[in-house]
Amino acid sequence: MNRQLAMVLDLNKCLGCQTCTVACKKLWNQDQGTDYAYWNNVETAPGKGFPRLWQETGGRNADGSVKRGEIPSLDADYGRAWKFNHDKTFFKSNGPREWLKPESGTQWGPNWDEDHGAGAYPQENHYFYLPRLCNHCTHPACLDACPRGAIEKRSDNGIVLVNQDQCHGYRFCVEACPYKKVYFDPKRQVSTKCIFCLPRIEEGVAPACARQCPGRLRFVGFLDDPAGPIHKLVNEYKVAIPLHPEFGTGPNVYYVPPLSPEGIDDEGRPTGKPRIPPAYLESLFGPAVHDAMARLAAEREKTTRGEGSAVMDLLIAYDWSKNFALDDARTREVI
Amino acid sequence: MKTTVTLIAPPTAMQPGGYIATAYADRSQPGTSRADLEVQESTAGWTVALRWRAPQAVIDATDNPRQFIDGAALFAPTVKDAPWISMGTPDMPLEGVLWRADRAQPWRVSAQGLGSVQRAEAPAGWTTAARYANGTWQLTFTLPAFAALTVTRQLGFAVWQGAQSERAGLKSVTPGWINL
Amino acid sequence: MGFSMVIDLNKCIGCQTCTVACKRQWTSNEGQEATWFNHVETKPGRGWPRDFHDMTPPAGVYAQQGLKGRIPMLAESGGRWQFDLESLKPGRYDPQKPLAPKTAEKGNAPDWGPNWEEDEGGGVFPNSYFFYLPRLCNHCEEPACKKACPRNAITKRDDGIVLVDEPNCRGYRFCVEACPYKKLYFNPQLGISQKCIMCFPRVEKGLPPACVGSCAGRARHFGLLEDPESPTHRLVKKFGIALPLYAEKGTQPNVFYVPPFSATGFNADGTPNGQQRIPMDYLKELFGEEVEQVMATLNAERAKKARGEPSEIMDELIRYTFNEAWKLPAEEEFGKHV
Repeated sequence: MNRQLAMVLDLNKCLGCQTCTVACKKLWNQDQGTDYAYWNNVETAPGKGFPRLWQETGGRNADGSVKRGEIPSLDADYGRAWKFNHDKTFFKSNGPREWLKPESGTQWGPNWDEDHGAGAYPQENHYFYLPRLCNHCTHPACLDACPRGAIEKRSDNGIVLVNQDQCHGYRFCVEACPYKKVYFDPKRQVSTKCIFCLPRIEEGVAPACARQCPGRLRFVGFLDDPAGPIHKLVNEYKVAIPLHPEFGTGPNVYYVPPLSPEGIDDEGRPTGKPRIPPAYLESLFGPAVHDAMARLAAEREKTTRGEGSAVMDLLIAYDWSKNFALDDARTREVI
Repeated sequence: MKTTVTLIAPPTAMQPGGYIATAYADRSQPGTSRADLEVQESTAGWTVALRWRAPQAVIDATDNPRQFIDGAALFAPTVKDAPWISMGTPDMPLEGVLWRADRAQPWRVSAQGLGSVQRAEAPAGWTTAARYANGTWQLTFTLPAFAALTVTRQLGFAVWQGAQSERAGLKSVTPGWINL
Repeated sequence: MGFSMVIDLNKCIGCQTCTVACKRQWTSNEGQEATWFNHVETKPGRGWPRDFHDMTPPAGVYAQQGLKGRIPMLAESGGRWQFDLESLKPGRYDPQKPLAPKTAEKGNAPDWGPNWEEDEGGGVFPNSYFFYLPRLCNHCEEPACKKACPRNAITKRDDGIVLVDEPNCRGYRFCVEACPYKKLYFNPQLGISQKCIMCFPRVEKGLPPACVGSCAGRARHFGLLEDPESPTHRLVKKFGIALPLYAEKGTQPNVFYVPPFSATGFNADGTPNGQQRIPMDYLKELFGEEVEQVMATLNAERAKKARGEPSEIMDELIRYTFNEAWKLPAEEEFGKHV
């Protein structure tokens, strides 16, 4: 039976602390060839993202064929992994010391445009954080792109994996992924990507990015499990929607879109309109975002009135253990 | 024997997976239009020399995920006249050797159809000598025991120019087997 | 048998979510602009209010005469900050004059406030260091504030929670003088003193205090100190790895801290010296001589974990299941309105 693991991220709770990013990087991705790569990153939206302008190319055509994509540039788009002046800072005991800082030449990096956001100050300035990882798509463009069949979508959990032994480093997958979440390792000459922490999943433990999240904003489970949080948030409550559904790859990472405070008019009076323009949210999450936002606002109203809201209770994560519903929840606990 | 071969680009429409066929539909010309081939057989085995123009060599790309590395491969059918452009079949596999400019040692490769190439460590004694000068690669394979070639005496080859993003089926190949 | 809290300083990231959770819930009224039942300050540092440690007598005095201290001065608390939000109006906003506070008392720019010394810390670069110290009322066993009140308007409940009986308070502020942690706040609007109530309306419903339930780093543990099933009991009594702040003041706090590890320092040639950057002497200043033994235990337990051996203590601190960070008497209400 084909099953699909999925993740829901509540953007109202992300504080941009990058604990997920570091948890992932420390666990899987410390090698030299992928020093520039972040299977999980958190970027500021609106913004150019990581890699820079990733959302401007890629995805599927209306007929289902995959569009030609580009491999991002190391310096201009990913940002070369920063080198620090460690030797000058730590290894020169004579003379004036330098502060620790990245050496010159950095052009871009993950969350380079941190907290810049958009909108005129103070009427409608706004930003929010967008954590991104492989979407483990139902119709992965990367899988189609590989002429060697080296990318597999597992039937038991839907996780998309690059077979490292079969990969010959052709990078068609890097080009094709509209989310630019396949990273080439030029040292090993193979492509790598998020494995949804498969070895943890096999132990009944949620991915590191989800378990480590201080904001407790990530939910993990099977899409078809009516008792689990994913089915509830995506199918039942309909408050979580995928990023760029128009890319046509059927992402299995879903986002609860961000509410925002109202803007003010030129007289300083509240406008009653959210600072994050609905049109911008639609550009990220498609037209479904409007209904999702309306449902969220209604549920929040309920809570404000003192009525119960199962949606808010789940999103607030009163009982954090309910954020995760995996097949084999063994007693063994792993962070 | 010594000859100059006009190379072709394999049709992208036949590339497996669907993506290359549409995304690279516009790519019909080979990155390298022709190459010189010299084959010698002796009691010590086979020596195959290739020579092709590559205005910009890419030898090392450890630093750049966008850069593709130059390469070249020789293949011989294990069964005479096995399909060449589609890289053999399960019943008629191809055997060969693959050189990549960043590696001292070549790989032994085998293929049973498009997208099926398997790399393996080269047998003892298989070596390559590569020299890049004046915009030209000169590459000599020394292959003491290249069984398929000895049996069928048919040879095909491919070269990849990294500077033109050639890799996988995006390559410049002989139009068919060269009979020795 | 009273409520107690343990704060693991290794997990505090200084995000002030606790501070805001508390402020929003209890002290967002006029007159409370400088009231922070809970705040997080950077150590080493003079703290908030500035040099509060020196405002009451040192060790040993309490038992004989109580603590005769003094009320923090305006300059030491930084005053009640107010912001000219009108200046943000379009047309009036001047990028050269970003939003900045003025004190309600004097109209001047404040030069102190909660976590004024954020991330400054101590040590000489590259051996510099700092850590965060969340502070709230310690709900002491022997509350100096209670002893100080001539009207007996401060009570310590059977469950250990220390409260100011507001209708009985006349605003004399002896309690503010006496508290060695300076965790009572005079409300000029109401003319009474106020303090952390350990979120008793929540606790009575089986909920943890807001600062505990909202802690992003999951650094806080809460429960009855003598209840063997309480995480605070295990951390303080069973494992002995959590210590009170400034125990020498003698009030016997019920808020305890797991002392902080720190990264290795460097020798002059840049090689790691294997020494924790936070000097043991500094930790002793805060947490007493016992901190040395506690650090040794923590180091040993961490080493066990690194070797792949089990460690009950580390498991307790890592708090795999966040909801087990508190153990409250009435469990049927558990899990609502955190």
